[in-house]
Amino acid sequence: MAFPTHKPTGRSFNAGDYSYKKFLSQSGKEVRILYGDKRTGMKLQLVYENVNDTAADDFVAHYDEVKGGFNTFVLPSEFKAGWNGDALAIDAVSGNRWRYESAPSISSVRPGISSVTVNLIGVL
Amino acid sequence: MAKVYTGRDGILQLSGTTLAKVVNFTLQANLETLETTTLGDSLRSYSPGVLGYSGSASLLYYKDDAGNINTTNLLNKLIKTGTGGVSSSETADLTLRWVDGTDQNDIRLTAYITSANIGASTGEITRAEISFVGTGALTTATIS
Repeated sequence: MAFPTHKPTGRSFNAGDYSYKKFLSQSGKEVRILYGDKRTGMKLQLVYENVNDTAADDFVAHYDEVKGGFNTFVLPSEFKAGWNGDALAIDAVSGNRWRYESAPSISSVRPGISSVTVNLIGVL
Repeated sequence: MAKVYTGRDGILQLSGTTLAKVVNFTLQANLETLETTTLGDSLRSYSPGVLGYSGSASLLYYKDDAGNINTTNLLNKLIKTGTGGVSSSETADLTLRWVDGTDQNDIRLTAYITSANIGASTGEITRAEISFVGTGALTTATIS
């Protein structure tokens, strides 16, 4: 089962960073050494408010399928709903895939209706 | 026969007994709505949530010839001695009725009195004001 194709009601994206290390000399001069040419560690929070419970459980099923935070996966285009900028700007950049940063969180709103929050992290 | 209802047709009952000197009553039905608009949508969409009822009433503070005060059984839900507060069984069985001869249009509900106000003011008739919130389903709804 692929990641659910429901459109989110909220989305928050953090672009991550390149891998580098910072060295600080006694004089205060700072040197940074770049260790890679790919940006990684981007974070994505997707919120699905007031969805049917049958839609909410899709996220748990997918979480099981990828063995929680163990396996990586790609996201369907629906997660970018409403985004008019460069489609790649809010996705895992080339070479990266997504992984669950934490388990999907489901809040029951009323009988049959729940809200789901998914936190993902981009990894090489 | 066609009829426009007025305040003269209104009756408020507590446990099936008509309360005297009711000045006004209102009932509001509120449906909670859950927004289901997603990113990319241009129009808002909703899913129905929980339905609830609330209202208020105003009564003249009135003692009849037998010495009974009309507001006693409403006010004493909140204005009382003791340290127990309000128990879950202290509900009020309210009927809001609009009468047309023998035709009765009723809304009956079980409610908790959530506020009770009474005071005295120079040159004014003393009124008791109550607010209530319904619990559970309406017992009767024959207003349509």
